[in-house]
Amino acid sequence: MNPIAAATEAVRPSARADSAVTPEPRLLVADRAAQLYSQLPVGLAASVAIIVVAVYALRYSSHGWVVYGWAGMALAITAARAGLWWGFQRSANTGQARRWMRRLAIGALANGTIWGVLASMFFGLTGEHEQLFILLVLAGVMVGGISMYAASWPMYALYGAPIALPFTYGLATHEEHLLQAVAVLVPMFYAVSVGVAYRLNQLFLSGFRSQHAYRKLNAEYTALNQRLAQQLEELSVARSQVEASGRKLALFVERSPIAVFELDPQGRALHVNPAAENIFGYGENELSGRVIAEYLFPPERRLEVAVRWKAMLHTRQPAMLLRQRTRRRDGNEIVCEWSLTPLVNSEGRVISVIAQGRDITQQLEAERLKQEFTSTLSHELRTPLTSVIGALQLVNSGVVGAPDAETLELTAIAERNSQRLLELINDLLDLEKIESGKLPVELQVMPLDELVREALVLNRAYGDRFKVCFEVTGELLPARVRVDRRRVLQVMTNLLSNAAKFSPEGAVVEVSMLDQGAQVRVGVHDRGPGIPASFHARIFSRFAQADMSLTRQKGGTGLGLAICKRLLELMGGRIGFSERAGGGTTFWFELPKQA
Amino acid sequence: MPALPLSRICYVEDDEDIQRIVRLSLERIGKMSVDVIADPAEAIERMIAFKPDLVILDWMMPRVDGPTLCRKMRERPETRDLPVVFITAKASPRELDELRALGAAGTISKPFSPKDLPDQLRTIWNALPAQRA
Repeated sequence: MNPIAAATEAVRPSARADSAVTPEPRLLVADRAAQLYSQLPVGLAASVAIIVVAVYALRYSSHGWVVYGWAGMALAITAARAGLWWGFQRSANTGQARRWMRRLAIGALANGTIWGVLASMFFGLTGEHEQLFILLVLAGVMVGGISMYAASWPMYALYGAPIALPFTYGLATHEEHLLQAVAVLVPMFYAVSVGVAYRLNQLFLSGFRSQHAYRKLNAEYTALNQRLAQQLEELSVARSQVEASGRKLALFVERSPIAVFELDPQGRALHVNPAAENIFGYGENELSGRVIAEYLFPPERRLEVAVRWKAMLHTRQPAMLLRQRTRRRDGNEIVCEWSLTPLVNSEGRVISVIAQGRDITQQLEAERLKQEFTSTLSHELRTPLTSVIGALQLVNSGVVGAPDAETLELTAIAERNSQRLLELINDLLDLEKIESGKLPVELQVMPLDELVREALVLNRAYGDRFKVCFEVTGELLPARVRVDRRRVLQVMTNLLSNAAKFSPEGAVVEVSMLDQGAQVRVGVHDRGPGIPASFHARIFSRFAQADMSLTRQKGGTGLGLAICKRLLELMGGRIGFSERAGGGTTFWFELPKQA
Repeated sequence: MPALPLSRICYVEDDEDIQRIVRLSLERIGKMSVDVIADPAEAIERMIAFKPDLVILDWMMPRVDGPTLCRKMRERPETRDLPVVFITAKASPRELDELRALGAAGTISKPFSPKDLPDQLRTIWNALPAQRA
């Protein structure tokens, strides 16, 4: 290994020896460079002082010009080293520490060379005092160099070698045997000095390492502190958020019109909101810590409630919309719709249960009244209509004498409109029954083609009225379906009468059946004006008629398709329509086939 | 099918307007003899006196309704075997079940067409087993 490389790489062996506390070599080198350069001005000042003193001491010696030449060279080298120091001070880049170490090593070698040249002058001098002066200077610079280069022993070795080697050579080859003896001492002296420098170097290194370890610890400690501070900050933000949402939630519960109880898994009240106090008439203090089921449910309902409660605890799933008769504090019974929501912690344990109760007593009463009203309406409207239609029919049939033509025209109008009123009532009642789930459907398995044929027979007269003919195209399939016969006929009648109403006079309305695999489809194809696009979306909704003027002309309530859609859904089928090539519309319905 | 055509009918109904319409329908169009009874309380005696082929009962009447009257008829030997047709405004499944239980010959739903009423009754009449007439 060459000495310059050694000077820069000296840290490596110890880095291997103790990697745990050794900082990065790059940083260590930078520290060493900084240490060495920081001592450089002292060395430079000492060099200049020694050079000046040496010139002064040797100015009258045997060859004065040599002294002046040496001094010039020495000052030049010193100036170059001062330049080096200046350069280092200005460079802020510690990444280039190795380069600065190499430059310093060259400087050390040059510095040593100054004193080596001075040593070689020793042998040309004749005055013993002057020789003694040189010896003292040499001894001084050898020892002084140790402290100067203590941070890098190879650098010291580089510095000392050009002093010791030429001097030793000169001494060894001198005829004076006393000096030959000194020649043995000089290398020894050099070796000891390098040894001391090495020891000092080790001390520096361990110092640097401790310093780095401390800095690193300090940095880690600071980072840890910062992180801790940040986490504290975040925690405080989170806490205020939780507090805010807690307040919001509490407000919701406090102001909710729905009764809200927080219960423990045994059903004991932990919290009761004001709505619950109002609805059931118990104060929070009366229910707090008590099993509320014993207060709110009549004894015969408690078993059912307990079963639901256990199931909810077991599945940890909310139990929704349990309709229960519930008893108020004053003994009156109300009907409540309850939902139970278990609050489950991260270990899957139910901490508490939120029970919400909505008083639906009035809602149920309203539903009952509505049904009663519908039923009464049904009877009370039909009875007078029976008289009206009956009377008009008897007049129009001429059995009570022949009225004149104008009277007959008017009574015919009255009869037709009474019929329309009746249809409207019937449709409304049907729709009402379907929507409240009260329409009875008696499902039976039967062949659909027979129903289609029956519908065609039943509606032939209606078609004749509009001068429209119903015709079967293709084959009617004997597919078996599970349906209510009356309801399928109602759907067919609706589709056929619509088709007849909207077809031009003399047109043919085609009826077809199509096997769709699991379904069978019946189509009614007309040559009417088609359905405006703006009307497509609501064709199956109540009172849906594209052209109201046609209603007045040809009758119909605008409820027919809405009823058809719901009837088919009750029987597991569906209804739809499509535009027909060449004009007109196809209405179709599908029903699932039975084996 | 009964041996004789339908010609004599008792009709129990509280609504005077409908009474009048039914009477006109059955007499003028159907060419039948009709005894209209407004008060169900005297219905059975009137039936025994009139000897109808068939009885029409309104389902819904104040005091005694159609089904109750029908049950009373079944208790009297003179009226036990008379075919009964109900006129009703709403045919709910419960009512239909009750009708079957009462052994009704048929139902006419309100509103009915007076023009078609005689034919409807004759259809029901003709569907009856021969021995009942």
